[in-house]
Amino acid sequence: MKPNRTVENAVLASPMVLFLLAMLGFPVILSLVYGFSETRFEALTSPTFNGLDNFRQVMADTSFWQAAWFSLRFGVITAILQCTLGLFLAVYLAPLIRRHSWMVAVLIIPMVVAPAMIGLMYRLVLHEFVGPLPHYLFQWFGASPAFLNGANVFKTVVVAETLQWTPFAFVLFLTAYQAIPTEMREAATVDGTRPWRMFWKIELPLMMPTLFAAVFVRFIDGFRVFDTIYTLVGPGPGGATTSMSIYIYETFLRRGEIGKAMAAAILLFLSAFLVLAVAQHLLRRRG
Amino acid sequence: MRVQSYLRAGAAALALLAGPTILQAEVTVLGWPGGPEEAALRAVTDIYNGKAEVAAENKVDLLFTSREGFFDKLQVDLAAGSTAFDVNLIATYSIGKYAPFMEPVILSEEAKKVFGDTVLKTMQYDGQQFGVPTDLSLHFLYYRKDLIDALMADDAAKTKYAEIAQKYLGEALQPKMPEDWTWRDFAANALYFSQSVNPDSPTRYGTVIQMKNLLFNMMVFHSWPRSYGANWMDDAGNVTVDSEAFRTALEMAKMLYDAGATPADSASYEYAEANAAFSSGQVAAMVQWNAAATELMTAQPTTGTFAPPAGPDGRFTHIHGLGLGINKASDNKEGAGAFLAWLSGEEAALAYAKAGGAPGLASETAAKVAADRPDLVQAGDYASNYGFVMNGGTSANALGIYEAQAKEFTGFWAGTQDLDTTMKNITASMTELLKK
Repeated sequence: MKPNRTVENAVLASPMVLFLLAMLGFPVILSLVYGFSETRFEALTSPTFNGLDNFRQVMADTSFWQAAWFSLRFGVITAILQCTLGLFLAVYLAPLIRRHSWMVAVLIIPMVVAPAMIGLMYRLVLHEFVGPLPHYLFQWFGASPAFLNGANVFKTVVVAETLQWTPFAFVLFLTAYQAIPTEMREAATVDGTRPWRMFWKIELPLMMPTLFAAVFVRFIDGFRVFDTIYTLVGPGPGGATTSMSIYIYETFLRRGEIGKAMAAAILLFLSAFLVLAVAQHLLRRRG
Repeated sequence: MRVQSYLRAGAAALALLAGPTILQAEVTVLGWPGGPEEAALRAVTDIYNGKAEVAAENKVDLLFTSREGFFDKLQVDLAAGSTAFDVNLIATYSIGKYAPFMEPVILSEEAKKVFGDTVLKTMQYDGQQFGVPTDLSLHFLYYRKDLIDALMADDAAKTKYAEIAQKYLGEALQPKMPEDWTWRDFAANALYFSQSVNPDSPTRYGTVIQMKNLLFNMMVFHSWPRSYGANWMDDAGNVTVDSEAFRTALEMAKMLYDAGATPADSASYEYAEANAAFSSGQVAAMVQWNAAATELMTAQPTTGTFAPPAGPDGRFTHIHGLGLGINKASDNKEGAGAFLAWLSGEEAALAYAKAGGAPGLASETAAKVAADRPDLVQAGDYASNYGFVMNGGTSANALGIYEAQAKEFTGFWAGTQDLDTTMKNITASMTELLKK
């Protein structure tokens, strides 16, 4: 007699399901309730249903759209930069890494540092009076750019994010690059294919699914960025570096507009979900 | 029988778990972490716990988290009815926000004599005392005496100074001693000591203004417009932020920023960055919190201090207090109240001051620690003579107002929006926040 696998699976999975329901399900339900209610800190347990009011307020808030535009730009630019750099490093360093695999551990160090620490580190490194970078720029050239003023702050946070997360893209691409069968490259070489053509016509197409996945993962991460920017420059002059996550945090805790913050969080979730769905669709079509 | 055994074992396990909680029925105080406030609170707590008359269940235990997001975490804890602490920190600008979750405190009979009415008021909301003031924050003007002395002794430098003032401020101002400065003198001095304006300046910048989009930076800035007569609201409750006073101060600060009299990165500066700039010796003068006195004077021994510059309406300094009050959800309100009553007396205040804290002491009490803490005498004097709190500065949404101003004003300074738009936006935000 065959064992009842369905019951067995359900029993084995139940602790994890219960854990997820408690840890993720409850906050999600609470967010939904608050998103459609008028709520104050003094009355967290008795929210008043107010329909779509919070969503209307969010949509009418210019700061929300400013944050959404910032997040979109930041997500797209950092994803493209990280994936381009990561791809270049993976392909360029692959022969070296084949001989010295320990190099991977060194190259991914930025990725293992907490993003908040990266923000604080750059705050120190870029400070005109105590930071090493401006110090040497003053010493060598007699001047240093203001890395964190209104004109440069966007570029600076993009560079900080790119330097931290390029290793993530690099590791993905390296794995995909190394998974390409050696026979293919050997056959192409025997046929006289030049390295550049081999990359464009053979290697890159084979790595395309990884490239898609990396771009979308990095875009979503960039879109909801918080720690690095918040610890480095905060919301920025005039809200210039306010991402969607920073907008939600400030609306919730600083301004005490809980319902509005939750409505914005739901919109952020839906937009991230939409991007993921599009990515999956594109990948499936390609596959 | 077996069921009974299980129940007994369960009860024993629960008792073991609950044991430490029962034994820990002391008064838990959530204090301001790090810095002199923590050291001073530890010192007075030791004195209190050493008293024979304090029962074991009322001994004080201290709890510290981190400063980053402290008030956000506190808000969530209080709203959730946390009993993890009996006494918690409050600040003047957040009393209105936290008062619904707190109990009024009863001060000792000495409190009025020890602190004085002005300082006690920094812990009041709706006519009730919600906290014992522990630390008083206000602003000093920090300046390099060596630079001012050299300027005052050099006629060629004075001529150059007047030329710069004429060009940027439309008036050939003459150098003065900082005790006599108006904000226009402050600006002229800042321009003169900036290499972007005066290549011969011994310092790279004449001042450093903290322009990061951060609520605390607005407090530092407020002394400036206030001296021109600014307020958040008039007595009738109308929002008056769109005033000539705010406009003048905002434009003067922007002029200094655009002229390079403050570092271009000032747009991202807060307390630590501004202190680092002054400490480097590349800044001639700045307005900064009184708490920075030791740090700045150690780094630059020729540093002098005075109250912030004056304006047409007089000399002003923003003041706010940090203090301790009772959590409404506390399990030991009696013990908490007893500790706070003792903390509001002279013995505790003097011990707190000697241990490095910065209580706002009335002149008679401050005189008793003048030998150890001369800065407290100066701070008490400035608080009494120049201290102010904006109308609405202790309202439930005061923090939100500071946040909104930080966003709008920094946007103007950074050039992302003009002054009219800034004033329109901040008036709308403040009207909304003050009506809630």
